[in-house]
Amino acid sequence: MDMFLYVDNNSGLHRLDPRTKLIIMLMSFTVAVMFMNIIILALLMLLVIIYGGIGRVLGNLKRIRMVLIMITLFSLAIWTIARDSSDKVFIFSLEGLFYGIMIALKTNTMIIAGMVFLSSTKIEEISEGLVKFKIPYRGAFAFATAIRLVPMIVATSYTIIQAQKSRGLDLDSGNLLQKIKKYLPLMIPTIISVIRSTNIFSMALESKGFGYSSKRTNYLFLILKWKDYFMLGFGILLLTAAILLKTNTEVFGDFVSQFPWSDFSGKLQWSL
Amino acid sequence: MKEVFTMWSKTKMVVLVALSAGLYAAVLIPFKGFVLIPGITEIRPASALPILLGLLFGPAGAWGAAIGNLIGDFFGSLGIGSFFGFIGNFMFAYVPYKLWTNLGMLKEDEKEPDLKSGKKIAMFVLVSLIGSAACALVIAWGLEVLGMVPFGALGSIITINNFIPSVVLGIPIGIILFPRVKKWDLLWTDIMDSEDTLSGAGISKVGGLLMLVSVLFGLIGGFLAAFGVGQALFYSGFGAGGEVGSMGVIIVAGIGTAGLIISSFLQTYNKAE
Repeated sequence: MDMFLYVDNNSGLHRLDPRTKLIIMLMSFTVAVMFMNIIILALLMLLVIIYGGIGRVLGNLKRIRMVLIMITLFSLAIWTIARDSSDKVFIFSLEGLFYGIMIALKTNTMIIAGMVFLSSTKIEEISEGLVKFKIPYRGAFAFATAIRLVPMIVATSYTIIQAQKSRGLDLDSGNLLQKIKKYLPLMIPTIISVIRSTNIFSMALESKGFGYSSKRTNYLFLILKWKDYFMLGFGILLLTAAILLKTNTEVFGDFVSQFPWSDFSGKLQWSL
Repeated sequence: MKEVFTMWSKTKMVVLVALSAGLYAAVLIPFKGFVLIPGITEIRPASALPILLGLLFGPAGAWGAAIGNLIGDFFGSLGIGSFFGFIGNFMFAYVPYKLWTNLGMLKEDEKEPDLKSGKKIAMFVLVSLIGSAACALVIAWGLEVLGMVPFGALGSIITINNFIPSVVLGIPIGIILFPRVKKWDLLWTDIMDSEDTLSGAGISKVGGLLMLVSVLFGLIGGFLAAFGVGQALFYSGFGAGGEVGSMGVIIVAGIGTAGLIISSFLQTYNKAE
């Protein structure tokens, strides 16, 4: 089973520069954080889904559906009961329900934006994109190597589990807590096996000239093309519009007055 | 703080960052389904690792914990909280190794984190608690600033969720791991140049004390401020109502967070100076 979210398509989204995709993801986070308005957040989510649809990566929504459903149910259940409101019926309030919808939209939008980014960008592209953003190469290398090591470490632990099972260790019986208790000691040989490889790994890197020169050449060469500038321009336009809407209290007030149930930005308690 | 940056010049430390991050992520990922707060945190036996990684590998362990947590977030919960998760998990491993040396509670010949004496185990429990609290402070403060999750609920859940595995699993793993890491010359103090290791003397001691006070002030003060605006601890923090984004909580926890960062820069006094 593939542990990672990346979907190997040749879509317009996949062909975008990783820096463009990273900036667009951060812009979507910014807009999501800026607003506490159901309508705006729903529109943002729709945009993020369309963006993911361009890359044909929405199939991955299935893989994270449990997370999304749990966030939604948790937000609705908690805030419908917990939110202070004058219109409470028993312990539930309609205002709380809308607040829960708003929080669920906000969190799910960011998670879907993250999913779209990871589904359309290879690890080496993310790593190279970070270097282009002036993140030191060694940091980006450690990040990319760590991601590649995860399946290897999982495979090592699986081998250790199989070895212990073949020696008679019963890992299948017992309740969840008992199972966790049996599995946890198996962490130790995995950890030791991983750490033991440090010296050989370091020597292998140095024998290949790791750190020999601060100027490196790369097989993967990133260039921003017109499509990247177009998408970045579109993103900046939307972000500017969002900032203008947020800062222009008259326009935003008019908008909110049309749908008063949808907005919670004026209801934050900024008190000592 | 200097060693956090100078370590990148050592290939072995870079490899330890990658291995620590990979290991942390590999243990985090299988438990992603055991959710405590959807999209924010889950049951984390992997929390046993950052304290150990910090004590054994120093700054490499801290970067490893930060990157490992970010990779863990790639499996379904990448969001704005990941930014604070990165810093919080860095602090989770960074604070313990700083306090281990700089708090002045262990003598010079006791500073190896082999957990062979009651005193060292007590120190391990203390640094685990402060490390867990530092992680909780940064993440809960960040999400309170963004108005996403109540500080009281998140801060308390993260502290306990980090602290229990750190102690229950961390101590036995640490006792088994230390002699091997030492034998393989992988302790960070053996890899780094002596001028980049810690001595626990002079201004560093003050920094260590300030770090301890900042974390406790930020978290406990933040909780008290949160109670003032109707929040509560743990899951009652959601049930209590209380508004998220309270200026009082943001300021008090923010002072603690700022103190935590400032105190890091005070702890640069090293053996060669």
